[in-house]
Amino acid sequence: MVKEIEVEPVTRLEGHGGLRIVIGDDGKVQDAQFNITSTRFFEKFCEGRYCEHVPRITPRICGICPIPHHLTPTKAVEDAWGVSIPAPAYKLRQLLINAKQYSSHLLHFYALAAPDFLVGPFGDPALRNVVYVINKMPDVGAMALKMMDYGQNLCAAVGGKSVHPISAIVGGMKKPLDEDVRQKFLKGLEEQIEFTKKTVDIGLKVVTDYWDVVANVGVVPTYYVGMTNNGVHDIYEGDIRIVSPDGQKFDYKPRNYLEALGEHIPDHSYATHMYYKPAGYPDGIYRANCLAMINCADKMATPLADEALKAMRAKLGTDCIHHTFAYHWARLIETVEAIEIIAKYLNDSDICNPDCKTLDVQPREAEGVGVTEAPRGLLLYHIWSDAEGICKKLNLLVATNHNIAGIEKSLMHVAKQVVEDKALEGLKLPDPWIK
Amino acid sequence: MPVKVAFMQLSSCWGCHQSLVNAHLGLLQVLPALDIVYWPAVVDFKHDSLVARQDGEIVVGFIEGMIRTKQDLENTKLIRQKSQMIIAFGTCACYGSVPGMANQWTINEVQSRKFMEVESATTRRIPDQHVPGFEDKVVNVDDVIDVDIFISGCPPKTEAIVGAVVTLLSRTAQPMSDTAFCNDCTIRSDCLLNKGVVCYGPITSNGCSLKCTSKGDPCVGCMGPSKNVANEAQKLLEISRGLSGASQGDKKNLFEFLALFFNLPLMAGFDLRIDPLRQLKKKGRLLTPLPDLPSTTAEIAQNAASFLANNPDFLEISNVCQTCPRIRGNGTMTKVKRDYEGIPNLTDCLIEQGYLCAGPVTKAGCGGLCIRVNAPCTGCYGQTEWVTDQGARYYEAIKQSFNVDLSKEDFLAQVKDPIGTFNKFTLASNRGFNRGEL
Repeated sequence: MVKEIEVEPVTRLEGHGGLRIVIGDDGKVQDAQFNITSTRFFEKFCEGRYCEHVPRITPRICGICPIPHHLTPTKAVEDAWGVSIPAPAYKLRQLLINAKQYSSHLLHFYALAAPDFLVGPFGDPALRNVVYVINKMPDVGAMALKMMDYGQNLCAAVGGKSVHPISAIVGGMKKPLDEDVRQKFLKGLEEQIEFTKKTVDIGLKVVTDYWDVVANVGVVPTYYVGMTNNGVHDIYEGDIRIVSPDGQKFDYKPRNYLEALGEHIPDHSYATHMYYKPAGYPDGIYRANCLAMINCADKMATPLADEALKAMRAKLGTDCIHHTFAYHWARLIETVEAIEIIAKYLNDSDICNPDCKTLDVQPREAEGVGVTEAPRGLLLYHIWSDAEGICKKLNLLVATNHNIAGIEKSLMHVAKQVVEDKALEGLKLPDPWIK
Repeated sequence: MPVKVAFMQLSSCWGCHQSLVNAHLGLLQVLPALDIVYWPAVVDFKHDSLVARQDGEIVVGFIEGMIRTKQDLENTKLIRQKSQMIIAFGTCACYGSVPGMANQWTINEVQSRKFMEVESATTRRIPDQHVPGFEDKVVNVDDVIDVDIFISGCPPKTEAIVGAVVTLLSRTAQPMSDTAFCNDCTIRSDCLLNKGVVCYGPITSNGCSLKCTSKGDPCVGCMGPSKNVANEAQKLLEISRGLSGASQGDKKNLFEFLALFFNLPLMAGFDLRIDPLRQLKKKGRLLTPLPDLPSTTAEIAQNAASFLANNPDFLEISNVCQTCPRIRGNGTMTKVKRDYEGIPNLTDCLIEQGYLCAGPVTKAGCGGLCIRVNAPCTGCYGQTEWVTDQGARYYEAIKQSFNVDLSKEDFLAQVKDPIGTFNKFTLASNRGFNRGEL
């Protein structure tokens, strides 16, 4: 009997999808699918819109990471129209995207991922969620909420709204930060840095406790895609970087993305399968997101984060880390960097400088590409403007999308480990923190 | 006992959930009161578990997102079937939001761009295995099922969502009292109805603290209808037949009365205030039925509803301009400016600085968040009035209340993207458009 395991829907996931695993008579895994069951066609209905309005539409692609979806199309239009922005605007945008990185990574760690570790991967599904964690570990829960709150409030202060921000405009930012607001966030900063350190401690304890899982389950060699600013980890500005499974690095200017990034359209998912074109499909399947960024980076942009990166590489290797469960570790390293960058720009009074928008903005018929690193991976907008600045065409390579093929590949790998090699049986698991 | 709630996620961005989660520490008070039986974003219950539940078992079903896929349509019907009350949660569920703009094209054209023509694609096909397929157009949720409460906003403000949840939780079932409020009223001898003030005491259940009338204010009906009406109901009925003569305060209360009387929670002062009106506008009736009302009560409620459905004054109370801190009268729109042009000042009306701001035609409730950072409103809380030609309506609205020195023809000619400007969030709910009348 061929057996099909279906998971519908995948939960604690942003977006809509299901899993299908097909096991043959012989007990072998025949197929593992990740079915993304919805898409809303932003690339189509942005046609005909004012180019400068596209950044006010596309944040609705993702309510968790709307800030990269606001800034990246803005950068793409600036690239098309040949606009450069004043320094205060650049600083405000760095602050904004890092505030989002901070709150989103913490949301991911505490609300989406932590229940698996704190309640245990085989815990009661009815309890394996953040609500239960908050009830059972109120101290950790309150700390997590205060951290997300800080990040989201900072997003709202700089972005106008934390969900679906509005403050970036082609040419800069619509408004600088008010000085009293800057002071308010500076006041809370020290506590946030302490909280971040505690979170790293919790994360490292989880990694240690679950070492058998981290080291042995889902160690899947793939390519990786991310961005760096001349080799340094940067989520706002830089070039696309590909890392091969054996650790070789290849850099591409954003405008040359079509040389590197291909979309294979599968028959079973509305999200396409991204891959590294020179390696072909499926060999060139890559993964994105924090572990990919860590694999791309020669170094982190800030001192504490760079130390944390070195510690991770000392444990998991320096070339290219393929441990799927190390994503959680990588995410914490990025969280450290985010709060350090937030500190850097909050301490710079230039973010209150009203000279944050250039008047030198003229539409022209041209195409432009913008790239940032969203919390779930590389985000790329390719926009075609007509002479009046109307969007003629748009191509989007969205962060989560970069991971779909990689997730499916990891799923196949883990399904084989679990079904064929009975990997779960020998696995050493710690007692759950919450019993 | 925790209340059973479920969150259905249709095609969406998750932002409404993020806005709810943004309550952060505020969640600590709310969560213990909720028994969350379905919420894919947060908890691990699967679809089968929802199907297995009894009809009406869930007290409040939230719907987030729009109907884009056939699965969305099925899920919409499913959550309606399982829930006593449905809240359309966010602008997607209320109006279709930005993805509704895809309704300008056929589904084939739309799919083609993504799967057949896109520059980075190296294979070209429309996925059709283990995926649900698309509806031809983005379908509005309330075209398919009855919705009890609309909370609009992209996303709705955190306070509005928490307000709704808290109100719903604290709302105990209120069985109709046998007798009406008048029975307990301390100023019955000096009855407000005799002075022409609209007081809903005669048709409202007694048992409250009499807070309103003891201050000299009329009863607004917050205890819900009573089984029997008081003698004064006749006076109220007569007033309700001629509501056009009512005072402005009474007109505001009309709406509050309907919302409270029909158990629609009032939140944040705005969001739900207009929603009964929207129901009336779009469907010509309130969607939240109350069975077995005394005939006088039913007639009074109907008169109030009809009045609101046709009352333009009422609309003017609740657009974004009402909550905008900017000053009018310091400038004049002489040409339509694009958002990238110049830098607007932070104190004067954006329209009178030449920018297209949707404030005058957009439901209030946001508190003017965009305007405060110098970004014009683009209408995410939905339209105050439902007409087919939103462009002409917008022009009339700004011409009437703002300094605008442009003819309608010039104005409309300068707007190069009318769909994105006037129907950005609501195209899927614009009946005229979807019937091909535009």
